[in-house]
Amino acid sequence: MSQTITTLNVLLPLLYLTSFTVYLYDFFKEQKAVGNVNRIILFITIIVHVSYLLALTVEYDHPPITTKFEIFSIIACSIAFSYFILELLTDIRGTGAFIILFSVVFQVISSIFIGPNYKVPEVLRNRLLGLHVISALLGYSGIIISAVYGVLFWLLYRNLKENKFGLIFNRLPSLEILEKLSYYAAVIGFILLTLAIVIGIIWLPKAFPDFSYFDPKLTGTLFVWLVYGVGITSKWIANLYGKKFIIFSLIGFIVAIASLIVTNSLARTFHSFY
Amino acid sequence: MNLIGISINHRTSSLELREALHLNRDEIVSLIPLLKEQIFSEGVVISTCNRTEILGFPQTEGLDVNSIIGSLLQAKPIDGIKPEYFTRFFSCGAVKHLFSVASGIDSMVIGDSQILGQVKEAFEISEDLDFAGSISRRIFDTAIKVGKRAIKETTIGEGAVTVSYASVQVVEKIFANLEKKSALVIGAGESGELAAIHLRDKGVGKITISNRTIERAEKLAEKVHGEIVPFQFLKEHLHNFDIIISATSSNELIIHADEIKTAMKKRKGTPVVLMDIAVPRDIDPDVRKIDNVFYHDMDSLKIIVDQNMQKRKEQIPLVEKIVMEELVGFFNWYNTLDVVPTIKSIRSFFEEIRLDELEKIKNKVSDEDFTKIEDMTRRMVGRLLHNPTVKLRGFAESGANIKEVLTNTLILKELFNLEDFPTNGKSDAEENHNSEGNDEKN
Repeated sequence: MSQTITTLNVLLPLLYLTSFTVYLYDFFKEQKAVGNVNRIILFITIIVHVSYLLALTVEYDHPPITTKFEIFSIIACSIAFSYFILELLTDIRGTGAFIILFSVVFQVISSIFIGPNYKVPEVLRNRLLGLHVISALLGYSGIIISAVYGVLFWLLYRNLKENKFGLIFNRLPSLEILEKLSYYAAVIGFILLTLAIVIGIIWLPKAFPDFSYFDPKLTGTLFVWLVYGVGITSKWIANLYGKKFIIFSLIGFIVAIASLIVTNSLARTFHSFY
Repeated sequence: MNLIGISINHRTSSLELREALHLNRDEIVSLIPLLKEQIFSEGVVISTCNRTEILGFPQTEGLDVNSIIGSLLQAKPIDGIKPEYFTRFFSCGAVKHLFSVASGIDSMVIGDSQILGQVKEAFEISEDLDFAGSISRRIFDTAIKVGKRAIKETTIGEGAVTVSYASVQVVEKIFANLEKKSALVIGAGESGELAAIHLRDKGVGKITISNRTIERAEKLAEKVHGEIVPFQFLKEHLHNFDIIISATSSNELIIHADEIKTAMKKRKGTPVVLMDIAVPRDIDPDVRKIDNVFYHDMDSLKIIVDQNMQKRKEQIPLVEKIVMEELVGFFNWYNTLDVVPTIKSIRSFFEEIRLDELEKIKNKVSDEDFTKIEDMTRRMVGRLLHNPTVKLRGFAESGANIKEVLTNTLILKELFNLEDFPTNGKSDAEENHNSEGNDEKN
C-alpha cells in the first residue's frame, strides 16, 4: 500500500499537469481533434486522485485532513471535481485551464511536502469532522472557481470595452455566461460553507469544551460567509448585474485567502492540529 | 477525360462585367439547348454574381474553347467582353476547379456558404433539361461532397466576414440568450437590412426597426417579423432595447452620450450593446465611457472581419487536401470505366458457353439433375471469374498506370476474342455504377 501511495503521489501532479496542458492547448488552438480528450484526461485524473485519497485513509487509518499538505491534496481534487461537474452541466470547455491551474499548484505543493502520518489526535478521527472538512473544502473550491470566472469576466469586459478581439474575445464564453458561472459557483460555495459552519457549531462544544466563538478561525470564516451572503442576496434582491456582482465575488475571494493565511500562520487557534 | 470548362470570375474580370454576364435561371435554361445543340453532349452552367462557368463534355474532338464563349455571348450579348477574361480548364484541371469552387476556396469571400447551394442548383437545372449524364452526375455529387466535407472538417466557413455579421458576433459575446433580448435597428438601408436579418437568424426575441421613411421601416419589419418605432420618437424608446444597431446615411449624430446615460438609468445599469455601422457615425463614441455600455463602430468591427478572413485563409491548405482526396477518389472510379465493358464481355462469353453446354445435356438427364447441374455450373463460372474481375477492377482503381490497365484489358479481349460480346447498349458509366459492389454476389 505504501508503495502505491508513493507512486500515486508522483503520478498525480503529472496527471494534473497533462490535464492543464491539454486544456491550455485547446484554449489557444481550438482544435476539433482535441474533442473530448481533455475531459477524459481530467476524469482519469480525478479517479486516480480519489483512489489516492482512499489509499491514504486506509493506510493511515484516518481521513487525509490532518496536515496542510493532505488538505492541499483534497483542495486540488475538489477544485478539479467541481470544475468537472460544472463543465458537464454547462458544456463550456474554454475555461478549464484557468481552473485546473489551481489544482496543479495545490497538488504539486502537496506531493512535494506530504509525508506519512500514522499518529493523529483522537479528535481528528471523528466522522462529523470529516463531513465538516469536506464541506468546507468544497465550499472554498466554489469560492476559488467563482473568483476565476470573475477574473475571466473582468478580462472579457475590458477587452470588449477597449475593442480588443484577440484570444480572450474568441475563446471565452459570453459575459452573461461567465457571470452566471461565477454566481452559481459562489452560491454552491456559500451553501457548502454554511453547512461546514453549522456542522462545526454542532460538533465544537463536544470536541473542544474550552473553545471560544471569537476564535480567529471562526470569525474569519464567518466574515467570508457574510461577504458572500451579502453579494448573493444583493444579486437576488437588487438584480445586481455583472461587474458589480463580480466585484463582490473577487472581494470575497481576497477576504477568504487573507483569512486563511492570517488564521493559519499568524493567529493562535484551536483549529491548529499540526 | 475530355471535360472542358470556361470561367469568368472575380480574378479575371471587373464587377461590372461579372454582373452584366450573370445569368438567371431562365437565361441558363435558354442557354443549355444552345450548348446541347452546338457543343456539349452533357454539361452544366453555373452563374452567380461573382462568377459564370460552363463545363461540359464536347460532342466532337478538337473543340475550339472560344466557341463556348461564343455561345455564352450569343445567349447574353455583352459589349467589352474579351476572350482573355475567361480562364479555361481541361480534364483533371476542370474537375479540380469545380471541386475548389464547391468548397468555397475559389470564392471572392473565402468559405462563402452560398456557393455550394448554387453549384447544386446548377446541376439540378442540367438534370431537368436532360443535359446531365452519369459521369457529370458523379462529378457533381463528388463536388457537393467536397463542399460538405470542407464545412464539416475545417473552419473555412466560420467567423463573421461582413461588418453586419461581425456586429452580431460581438453581441453574442455579451449576451448568452438572445431569445430574451430586444434589438433596435436604425436605418432600413442595405446594411440595416443585413443586420436585421442576421439578428433574426440568431433568434433575437424582438426586433424593432426605425427609419426616417416609415414605409421602408415597415417593409423591413415585415421581413424580419419585427415592429417599428417612428423615427421622431426613437430617443424616448432607447432604454427598451438591449441591442441597438445604427446604419443610417445621416451626416449628423443620431444618438448622443447623454441620451444613453439617461437610458442606462432607466435600465438600472443592465448592459446595452451599441453598434454603429454607419459612415459617418450615427452614435457619439463617448458612450463607450459609460459602464455596461458596449460601443463598437466600423473600425472596431473591421478588425473582427479581417481576423476572420485571415483564419479562413489559413484553412485553405486543409480544404485543398480534401479536394485532392476526392479528386483521387473520383479518378479511381473514372478509371474503372475502361475495364467495365471488358468485365461485362468476359461474363457474357462464359455465360454463353455455360448455357450452350447446358442445352446439350438438357434432354439426357432428369429435371431434378438438370437443376443441380445448372446451379453447379453457375457457381463454377462465378468462382472462376471472381478473381479476374476483382483484380481487373482493383488494377483500374489504383489509377497508377492507365496504359497498363488498357494493355491488360486488351490481352483479355484477345485471349477470349471478346469483341463479339457487347455490353447490352448501356453506357459504360451506368454499367459501372450498377455493377459496383456486385462482385461478391457473382
